[in-house]
Amino acid sequence: MQETNISTKNFEQCQKCSLCETVCPVMANNPKYGGPKRSGPDGERYRLKNGIFFDDSLKYCLNCKRCEVACPSGVKIADLIQQARIDFGHKAPKLRDVMLASTDQVGPLASAFAPLANFALGLSPVKGLMDLTIGVDKHRTLPKYSAETFVHWYKKNAEGSQNKFKKQISYYHGCYANYNYPQLGKDFVAVMNAFGIGVQLIEGERCCGVAKIANGMIPAATRDAKTNVDAFYRSVKEGRDIVTVSTTCTLTLLEEYPELLKVDNSLVKDHISLVEQFLYKGIASGELKPVWKEGWKARAAYHCPCHQERLGWGIFTTELLRMIPGMELVELESNCCGIAGTYGFKKENYKVSQKIGKPLFDNIAAVAPEFVACECETCKWQIEMSTGVSVKNPVSILAEALDLEKTAELNCR
Amino acid sequence: MPNKNEFDVIVIGGGITGAGTARDCAMRGLRVLLIERHDIATGATGRNHGLLHSGARYAVKDSESAEECIRENKILRRIAANCVEDTGGLFITLPEDEESGYGLDYQAKFLEACNKAGIEARAISPREAIEMEPSVNPSLIGAVVVPDGSVDPFRLCSANVTDAVLHGAKVLVYTEFLDFIREGDTILGVKVLDTRSGQTAEYRAAVTVNAAGIWGHGVAAKAGVNIGMYPAKGALLVFGHRVNNVVINRCRKSADGDILVPGDSVTVIGTTSTKVPFEECDHMEVTPEEVKLLLREGCALCPSLASTRILRAYAGVRPLVADDSDPTGRSISRGIVCLDHEARDGVKGFVSITGGKLMTYRLMAELATDAVCRKLGVNKSCTTAQTPLPGSMDGRIENVSKRFEGKPTAGQKGAAGRQGDMVGKILFETEADKQLVCECENVTLAEIKYAVRELGVSNLEDLRRRTRVGMGTCQGTLCIGKAAKALAEALGKPELAGKLAADYLDERWKGMRAVGWGDTLREMEFMQRVYKYQKPFSYDEV
Amino acid sequence: MKFDVIIIGGGLAGMTAATELQKSGLKCAVVAEGLSLHNTSRKEFAEAGGTLLAGDRVVSGKLSSGKLLSVRTEKLGDVELEAADFVLASGKYFSRGIVADMDKVYEPLFGLDVEYDADRSAWFDASFAAPQKFLEFGVKICNCHALKDGEEIINLFPAGEVLAGISCAQGDATDRIRSSAMDAVSAIRRK
Repeated sequence: MQETNISTKNFEQCQKCSLCETVCPVMANNPKYGGPKRSGPDGERYRLKNGIFFDDSLKYCLNCKRCEVACPSGVKIADLIQQARIDFGHKAPKLRDVMLASTDQVGPLASAFAPLANFALGLSPVKGLMDLTIGVDKHRTLPKYSAETFVHWYKKNAEGSQNKFKKQISYYHGCYANYNYPQLGKDFVAVMNAFGIGVQLIEGERCCGVAKIANGMIPAATRDAKTNVDAFYRSVKEGRDIVTVSTTCTLTLLEEYPELLKVDNSLVKDHISLVEQFLYKGIASGELKPVWKEGWKARAAYHCPCHQERLGWGIFTTELLRMIPGMELVELESNCCGIAGTYGFKKENYKVSQKIGKPLFDNIAAVAPEFVACECETCKWQIEMSTGVSVKNPVSILAEALDLEKTAELNCR
Repeated sequence: MPNKNEFDVIVIGGGITGAGTARDCAMRGLRVLLIERHDIATGATGRNHGLLHSGARYAVKDSESAEECIRENKILRRIAANCVEDTGGLFITLPEDEESGYGLDYQAKFLEACNKAGIEARAISPREAIEMEPSVNPSLIGAVVVPDGSVDPFRLCSANVTDAVLHGAKVLVYTEFLDFIREGDTILGVKVLDTRSGQTAEYRAAVTVNAAGIWGHGVAAKAGVNIGMYPAKGALLVFGHRVNNVVINRCRKSADGDILVPGDSVTVIGTTSTKVPFEECDHMEVTPEEVKLLLREGCALCPSLASTRILRAYAGVRPLVADDSDPTGRSISRGIVCLDHEARDGVKGFVSITGGKLMTYRLMAELATDAVCRKLGVNKSCTTAQTPLPGSMDGRIENVSKRFEGKPTAGQKGAAGRQGDMVGKILFETEADKQLVCECENVTLAEIKYAVRELGVSNLEDLRRRTRVGMGTCQGTLCIGKAAKALAEALGKPELAGKLAADYLDERWKGMRAVGWGDTLREMEFMQRVYKYQKPFSYDEV
Repeated sequence: MKFDVIIIGGGLAGMTAATELQKSGLKCAVVAEGLSLHNTSRKEFAEAGGTLLAGDRVVSGKLSSGKLLSVRTEKLGDVELEAADFVLASGKYFSRGIVADMDKVYEPLFGLDVEYDADRSAWFDASFAAPQKFLEFGVKICNCHALKDGEEIINLFPAGEVLAGISCAQGDATDRIRSSAMDAVSAIRRK
């Protein structure tokens, strides 16, 4: 008896060891936050009794999920907190939160007016205005919007040539690669094609919804989730697995859909992989054969994003990068960069966000790498803004280090 | 100037019956002394389900008890709002009950009996039952909704004692009854021992009330009176959180482990019924067989209990008045027994109040007080059914929480839930006062100070009964040290902290040992680690 | 993925063994469910080039003729972790290195032989402060090797509190844990 526990999100497995409190980046920097144990499993016992025990301070949780990595009892602490916010935090989201969260609605508009949007977003009186009116901190460098979306580029330049490959995958590009940094998508296509793999878009792809979840827009997030799962299912039925580039999107698709949005993803779950995991497995098994550029050299520092730690897949990235002969890779100490998606953009969180990131910034300064390797787009914003060191996605690093032509020759025969 | 050792009435026993009797007597203007050998609510009062019976359980077999229950149920909701939670209750019928003769035919009989006793009961479909309480066994074939609820016995007892004191009663805890002062066939008072100081004392009163629960048998014997009592042990298990939000009962003849009650932050399953010798009543241990039986029966009510963490086990002894012809004790009426020993046994100045149950304590107190008043020639009527208890004047936590400046903290909300409208007396003066001592149950330093100041607390067990400190999932692992220090300081005896902690650890350990496997054993290892290993966590070295 | 040694558990015993082995030139990976290790030892191990799988846990192992070939973890799914040797430093009840149910005590990963008292009433002393027998239960070893059905598993080395006779409540627990880890290290180095 009592071998397993079926209580919601394992909250009663909590033994009160308080390890989660020692790793919570918010608790250490914001005295208003009660910490993961009290906000999660402790609070849950009382919320079960009466919703009045829901505490407003749960909004300070940045959902980095470091508590879940630290928990020796398998309690889904951050999920408990998000769930409580969904169930009890009834206030309507602010305009600012809606704007930050609606990445795939604001994105197309901003891309259409990219030069204007970027000019406006970078201009300090405008930033000051946003600070006052919608509460985006004025110190923030807002993510730039690209003039041409990845999807637009793909349709123009890549789509036609994809069907020639025998092996096919579906690429879940996410909002970031599409609107803010199409180069990542282009690198992805280049690397996949070099390995003899055709890249298809996912018809009807929607934002994963993570920002909507964080900002309390649950019905909208649930709609997106259902659309995505249906689209994934069609792709899987057509024989194409889904490959992603964003750790946060991936965690959302795999874990938050069933846990928080109650969207069943069991039919597609095992067919979703993160690109580093996909490539590592392919190369390690001998199925994919890389040819590296002669003389390519780099000294990089790897920052494992919090959500990658939660997925437990950082090892795929490090093992993959270490396959590059000229790569000298230093693993940075495990720390949160402090941005946590839209969290750090909010005026009320800016100071805490920078305080949280400080140990990481100091660590990067001490290592002094040529660049930081990191899978996460928001970590990239935060690190680049705070340290001035450029951050490269591992896919982009591979696109640089691989001899794409020779790799293609070897793999496309 | 009246002698400070002289009273109109002495009540022996600080359980709910004694506390209620002391309150009633005091409210009728009598000079009252209540003596209790341990702390209040340490006997059967603190060792039961905490079920606010609707009376439905007794409707078929014992309509008198059923009617008493529903009347008192309605009264308690009025006068003890802060101690009572209106959860509602279900009586479910399972497929296997058909075979044992308690199928849907019995349900019909049950419904009829409930309605006859004045208990609002209505049958609902299995689907409606699952909607109402999702944790209920989904294979049920029928369910009846009744006005059950849960009641916090510690809080209820404490509120009665507090009100008795507010009405002038004197309360002596840790004061053991030794013998009667007697002249011929008249009881003149009691000789007592202060168990903390070792001093003895004598108190006199025209009437002494024996409200000592199962120990009342021994008290009566000292007066040369025999009350044939039947000590029936009942074991219960506490689960780590609220598994259900509605009381779940089995719709059949009362049996072991057929009531599941959500109380405060936990769920309790009970109970068993075994006759035990009187000499064992002070040392109840729950056996592995009882645990197995309770789990098996509990799973029939709510299958998820099979994998739910058990916090601890405990047992109490019901003060049933014996009927030697029935060996199980189940068919004894839980009726109230109020004995005027002058009429019954020729002993003057002595009344016993026993039998009954937590639910009917107020009525028991009223009957006992009526008997006392008759003896004293006092003509005052009972008002306890109309007068709310302290803490329950404005008992809803939603209202009480509004009294704090700004947004209430978790600790303040916790205190509001426990102390009701007495919460204004909890002083959050410094930042330290606002800090949580017990994080599982949201108990602040301020609430501990309040309990010491106003609620008569002298050790951590007493403090637990007033504040729930250490009753949560860690069973005190993280808070006993802090709580012991806070209590010792509040008592003005900081040197006591170590002893207070050690005693409380042994008590927590006792309840956990009975269910020491699975996650409970994990917690037990952790507890040992925290208190014995010089470096309980390796991260301490960071 | 291939390593020289895989260490199951990242507590004091696991990190001690892992850091020693890594420093002696063996490629090590630690699978650590939960953060039971402190930052200093984690850093030292990382600096020596060790691989830490934090927040992951071993769910099964492939045993064949008295040898452990590989293990699988919850997060890595079908990617097996292969190694020549394995250190089992999974701790006692708290970290689920051994599990107690109502009637028995067992080692959940490989079903190793466990020393315990079948009479549950003997597990505890009524006094919290007294020694508690249940803390002494744990897996048995022979020549530093784990035992399954009395047979040695020749490349599986239990260390730390998962072992019978080592408990957190002993005054010299830290020393005992470290020395059991060093025993495993020496046995692996000897091979």
